[in-house]
Amino acid sequence: MNPLKKRDLVVAIGLLAVMLVLPLFTGGSRYLLSVLMNCAGLSLIAFGVWLTFTIGRINICQAGFALIGSYTTAIAMSSFGLSFWLALPLSAGIAALIGGVIGSFILKLRGIYFSMLTICVTEAIRLAFLNGGDFTRGSKGITGLAQPFGGDSALPMYYLAVALLAIGLGVTWRMHYSRVGRIFRAMRLNEDLAESFGTNVWRYRVMAFAVACGLGGLGGSYFAVFTQSVYPQSFTVQHSIYYMLFCFLGGLEYASGAVVGAFVLTILFELLSQFQQYQTLIYGVLMIAVILLLPNGLMAIRSAGKGERS
Amino acid sequence: MFQVLINGLVLGCVYALVALGLTMVFSIMRVVNFAHGQMYMLGGFVVYYLYGEFHLPFFVALPAAAAALALVGAAFNRFFFQPVLANATREENSMLMAVGTALLLENLALSAFGEKQRGVPDVVDGTFILGDVADGGVILTYANAMVAAIAVLVIIALLAFVQYTRPGRALRAVAQDREAARLQGVDVKATTTLGFAIGAGLAGLAGGLLVTVYGVNAGVGSNLSTKAFIMIMIGGAGVTSGAIVGGLLLGFAEAIGYDMLPGSVTYLMIFVAMIVFLVFKPNGLFGKPWG
Amino acid sequence: MNNRMMLNGLVTALFLSMGAQAARAEDNVLKIGVDGVMSGEAASWGLVNKYCAETTAEMYNAKGGVLIGGKKYKLEIVALDDKNDPKASVTNAEKLTSDGIKYIIGPNIDTTALAVKPVMERAKALNFPYAFAKELYTAPANASVLGMVASYQVGPVMYSYLKTKKGVKSIAFLARNESDAKNQQAEGVEAAKKLGLKVTADSDSYEPGTKDFMPVITKIIKTKPDAIVLSGVAPADAPLLNKAARDLGFKGAISTETAQDSTILAQVAGAKAAGFMSVGGASTPEIQSDAMKAYIEAYKKHVGEWNDEAGTKVYALELILAVLQKNPAALTDVEVFKKEMATFSMPNPYVKGGKTTLEFVGKADFGRRSQVGVPLVVNEFDGKEFKTLFVGTIKN
Repeated sequence: MNPLKKRDLVVAIGLLAVMLVLPLFTGGSRYLLSVLMNCAGLSLIAFGVWLTFTIGRINICQAGFALIGSYTTAIAMSSFGLSFWLALPLSAGIAALIGGVIGSFILKLRGIYFSMLTICVTEAIRLAFLNGGDFTRGSKGITGLAQPFGGDSALPMYYLAVALLAIGLGVTWRMHYSRVGRIFRAMRLNEDLAESFGTNVWRYRVMAFAVACGLGGLGGSYFAVFTQSVYPQSFTVQHSIYYMLFCFLGGLEYASGAVVGAFVLTILFELLSQFQQYQTLIYGVLMIAVILLLPNGLMAIRSAGKGERS
Repeated sequence: MFQVLINGLVLGCVYALVALGLTMVFSIMRVVNFAHGQMYMLGGFVVYYLYGEFHLPFFVALPAAAAALALVGAAFNRFFFQPVLANATREENSMLMAVGTALLLENLALSAFGEKQRGVPDVVDGTFILGDVADGGVILTYANAMVAAIAVLVIIALLAFVQYTRPGRALRAVAQDREAARLQGVDVKATTTLGFAIGAGLAGLAGGLLVTVYGVNAGVGSNLSTKAFIMIMIGGAGVTSGAIVGGLLLGFAEAIGYDMLPGSVTYLMIFVAMIVFLVFKPNGLFGKPWG
Repeated sequence: MNNRMMLNGLVTALFLSMGAQAARAEDNVLKIGVDGVMSGEAASWGLVNKYCAETTAEMYNAKGGVLIGGKKYKLEIVALDDKNDPKASVTNAEKLTSDGIKYIIGPNIDTTALAVKPVMERAKALNFPYAFAKELYTAPANASVLGMVASYQVGPVMYSYLKTKKGVKSIAFLARNESDAKNQQAEGVEAAKKLGLKVTADSDSYEPGTKDFMPVITKIIKTKPDAIVLSGVAPADAPLLNKAARDLGFKGAISTETAQDSTILAQVAGAKAAGFMSVGGASTPEIQSDAMKAYIEAYKKHVGEWNDEAGTKVYALELILAVLQKNPAALTDVEVFKKEMATFSMPNPYVKGGKTTLEFVGKADFGRRSQVGVPLVVNEFDGKEFKTLFVGTIKN
């Protein structure tokens, strides 16, 4: 196993292990668990951005697909009375489907055009839900969603988050460290060359994008029951940008990069709440500092000089 | 209907100015200045303080806003972007840096200036009135007319600069082909800094101009940035004609849309139309292909 | 291997340090939470909540603390920014309640207040939102107390005034395209119809972030109303809306049912906003008591400048403390607080004359007393500052 993959595996398994046993040490503090649940949900959505990176595109529309997943769950549960356990896979599926359809049109764009277009897709999705009339209840949003587990304890929801995180990690891992992943890498490095080798580039691109959107929908569905509500502004362009930052910070060469970035940044945010008003300012400064000093992400520390194979 | 067209025209001129700044930076550095909206916002604050609070003449405050933001642009280029472009293994890092600078500026402004909406006294007061608006007449405030006029003047000045002066030609050369320009003896580093400075300065100028009609607060940046993206996507990134056409089109689309459709549906339609348009013309109306 | 251990060790250490913070307890310190929007466009709403609470706390702490049940408590305000994001609001509320805090001021809008409701219920805490959604205050909901006058309570009073005193016969509604504002628009339309007014525009809206209001106001003016109601308008948008309307030649009345800021109105619109009607608090000069004047000075010292919104938001903490003083058991049990609400009454410290009482109201709208009985003040802007048009109380 090459050193990159080994490090990746160690971090991934380590993190999941820590999360599994952590409740034993936290003494039932809901706050800590809720922060971690937040991190897990965000990681799930960020995986989608990460996957899109592997095919050479910067995806800023994950928030839109998280919103689609959220609303699908909310509408399925409130208007059609479906149970959450049906709504969850449904949300992922619908998000993936819509992602595939939209992707088949927009993936032929590259670079900055693609990214700016994804910003507009996110906004368009938000506006669509805002103007969805009675179906989506417009600006009022859908509230009062029941959590799938009764009772007062936060643990069931917490372990659901850990399970979903493991699924997301698994899917991303499989796609990256497999034949499909190698094809993505080829496409990313030189799209025209890959095409000339006969790989059906278009098909793989759309598939990667659809899976990415599906993961976004999965995360969105979780958040819908976590906050027990969904509004058109639950996921905005700003959130999309944060997901992108998680991936960059964690490291784009490692499947667990999205998770590392999401956890580190979110927890950092919470710790900085001591500084209250200056919180987002410090966050912005730190962001720039990290980009200047750690341009290849946190996970790449100490591997400079080893000569990464890309 | 006439009123709607006038609204669209004023809006379009201003948007064109904003788009030009963004496209300038993109053409030189291949980086989308995510902080464009925030620079616009800072320009507004410069004019708010110099003209509104310290009572300097407006036509001193306005160039000061442009100059201040040009300095910020030059500094960002020198300290943030050039190191990143030199070191990173992926070109996306420059985009990440751009996003970081946007966050930085927005939050600095919030901490320094507070969250309140600010406004300045009218520079000119009065209105051209041609009939009662409720009955289909048209009005144009002197303030809006002034803003549109100055925007147009600045655009013309910029086009002349780029076309006829040495530094302007250097900008065009670097935008067209960096290596060839270097071989021709153009100081690419200095030109890049100039380009970013001009782009930022234009954003600051637009902000300083518009604070007279719209006021300013620390949060106006991101909304404007999104609109600027739409404009250069429609018109074509990195091309001046694209920015101007994109700006005008968006101005009219917004004015006409708000008149005919309920509020937010306007922008939904704009986004959908744009996505469809881009599928057929991925580089915008006048843009060059990416990569 | 080193890296992995280091990373995981760091992460675990961070978690445990956060947990340690949560477990700390102190004597004779009364912590009050504030959970609201403190950044971005609506920043003033949450920030004013924070500043008001902090000013009240400062004033008490300067005297050694607040006397409850024979003990002096230092007040500590723990304020968290939720950026108007329900996810952040929930995390903040979890953090505050884990810290043992039972009384929280905020959040500021429907979406965040509704998200926080289950958290309050689980933690057996009480919050004082500044959002108007009825489901927060009507049974079976029992975890929230509305901190101010609701738009649907002011609306009918204002429209009645417009009809009888200004001869208004037709009215148009323009709302910000957001949950709270749209709700206010719907309520306003209903109230206007009940009064027999003709509604010429009932669902027009503008996107948050819009700065050029010419297009949308042009559309409204074309329907020829006698009055325009800006439903749920944010203090940042109001001056520009007024300016656009007057520039376009509109001569009728313009009003809103939310609190506004006279400094911003004067700066951005000046004389063009003259005649603009809005909701005021206790700080209008005509009804200010000396205690209110002292409070304004303390606020200015703490923050740097006064904000008219504070006139409404000054009541929350003062009232919480007054009830706690009456029945100290409420310090740890919010059910005791809720029982007190039904009969609590005190002279309003911020209105001069000493004859106005401050109690919990809301029976007419919510079926129970789940609202702070702030005086209902309607202001009119005169180009420079607010003048009180009239003062009333909420029907109970």
